[in-house]
Amino acid sequence: MTSTEIAAVRPARTPRRSGPRSTLTRSSGLGLGIAMIWFSALVLIPLAAVVVTAVDGGWDVFWSTVTNGQTAAAIRLTVLTAVGVTAVNVVMGPLIAWVLVRDRFWGKSVLEVMIDIPFALPTVVAGLVLLSLYGQDSPLGVDVANTRMAVFLAFLFVTLPFVVRMVQPVLEELDRDVEEAAASLGASRFTTFRRIVLPSLAPAIAAGAALSFARGVSEYGSLVLLSGNLPFKTEVTSVRILSSIENDNVPAAAAVATVLLAISLAVIVLLDVIQRRVAARG
Amino acid sequence: MSIEVTGLNKKFGDFVALDDVNVTIPTGQLTALLGPSGGGKSTLLRIIAGLEKSDTGTVTIEGVDATDLPAQKRNVGFVFQHYAVFKHMTVAKNVAFGLEIRKRPKDEIEHRVQELLKLVHLSQFSHRLPSQLSGGQRQRMALARALAVEPSVLLLDEPFGALDAKVRKELRDWLRRLHDDVHVTTVFVTHDQEEALEVADEIVVINEGRVEQVGTPDQLYDEPANDFVMSFLGEVTHFGGVSLRPHDIELETSPKLAGSVEGTVHRLVRIGFEVRLTVLTVDGDEVAVVVTRAHARALQLREGSTVWLTPAAGATVVPRMAAAV
Repeated sequence: MTSTEIAAVRPARTPRRSGPRSTLTRSSGLGLGIAMIWFSALVLIPLAAVVVTAVDGGWDVFWSTVTNGQTAAAIRLTVLTAVGVTAVNVVMGPLIAWVLVRDRFWGKSVLEVMIDIPFALPTVVAGLVLLSLYGQDSPLGVDVANTRMAVFLAFLFVTLPFVVRMVQPVLEELDRDVEEAAASLGASRFTTFRRIVLPSLAPAIAAGAALSFARGVSEYGSLVLLSGNLPFKTEVTSVRILSSIENDNVPAAAAVATVLLAISLAVIVLLDVIQRRVAARG
Repeated sequence: MSIEVTGLNKKFGDFVALDDVNVTIPTGQLTALLGPSGGGKSTLLRIIAGLEKSDTGTVTIEGVDATDLPAQKRNVGFVFQHYAVFKHMTVAKNVAFGLEIRKRPKDEIEHRVQELLKLVHLSQFSHRLPSQLSGGQRQRMALARALAVEPSVLLLDEPFGALDAKVRKELRDWLRRLHDDVHVTTVFVTHDQEEALEVADEIVVINEGRVEQVGTPDQLYDEPANDFVMSFLGEVTHFGGVSLRPHDIELETSPKLAGSVEGTVHRLVRIGFEVRLTVLTVDGDEVAVVVTRAHARALQLREGSTVWLTPAAGATVVPRMAAAV
């Protein structure tokens, strides 16, 4: 059968059923092209290069690198701490956002600005702040230097604003009528929050959580001073990658990077799934 | 008596929203709280619902002192001007919400929801999301949701305020018929006097945080307690020291009736079947008069004509106040 025969049997112009129809015009096509070149140059090509470098020496080399005791310990510590910190942020973030949006109190505008400090501060300055507060000479008498607590604390510090800042605008837009309607139908404040407010906040919380996790996994500056970078104990992946490169072992660094990439991707997908579930629940 | 409100005061900062309000709302009737925007009628409704707390005073619902009861425990249905839909839930889920909170059996909930959706003519939309409904449909859904919990009173805060004129009129008729079927004590807030006159059994006129008058639509229209009520319920003009309706003034081209006052037609506007005149009297009043098209033609009225005005026999008249609206 030739293509002309096929065309005769099936009209060529019937719109396909599956997938959204393309709405590209000449100018929006140009826009898409620029966006793709930009995205490729900045994200896709470097990421692909990392993956290629990682598996350059073959699967066995890759596997032995990432299962190497010290590396595996660093990956485990980084990912678990990032997950833990994200979990804390998912609870604390909406709570802080709620206070900022719903309550009026003295010093609110100051607090509003302070929330962004961990985000705006150069990370090594954050590290210095943490070291002077929770280091060996702590004025508070809390010394967590060279412990895993230091890593947790540093992650917590730098990821604080993400969920708050994502949730805040959504909370501001929420219709108070809707909560009052739920109350007049007999719903307790907790039920109203769980069934009416939370589904609306879920996408924002998930987005904030994704940012918070990604920031945690990639953190370097704020923790190097306080954690001491002890192998098997407080060494995180970013430190491990840097030391691999310093030892001229680029494939090892790329291998760790690839593992982090895969984990981050999995976490983002997982958060999206959870978010959809919560948003659809009522 | 279904709802009794006594000695209610409410301030927002310096603004007095309610000033010693006492109202009794009869059981099973449709009562309108009518008044201009910012007059306190919505605040009163929200205090009855428990969504707002009064500074002083008491609210009794069906003999139970509800003053300190939270909104959750008052068993009132509340309908908001902007629908307040749960936008992530289907129409059926929205209506079922109050019943699920009360932990009713599943099949009972389903049955009741279907029954209510039929009542508000939304059966075929039960699986849609609120965003897929029109404004009028959303408000009917909100009404079904409020009725689902079998409230002892149904409160509606400007329920048709966000709808366009045609839908508003349809829903108004529909609410009246629904109330005749369901008979739940209903209070609705409106600033539209036509809506109140048409739908309500009883009207409470509220202005500047005070109750001006309570009565049936006829009582309010025919025997307004004061200038404000009179002017709020319809057009008013001032003539010889009293306020009265423009169509309650007799107009002749010769001084036939005793006590008539001479004047000159200053302006003449024809709107459909009626003719609106502005007459400047020799006493210095500027009086609005409405006559029929036929009457105006028979008298050959035009701007500059000399006419004699007399208040019609049986006209609704109230003394003119200094600060007339």
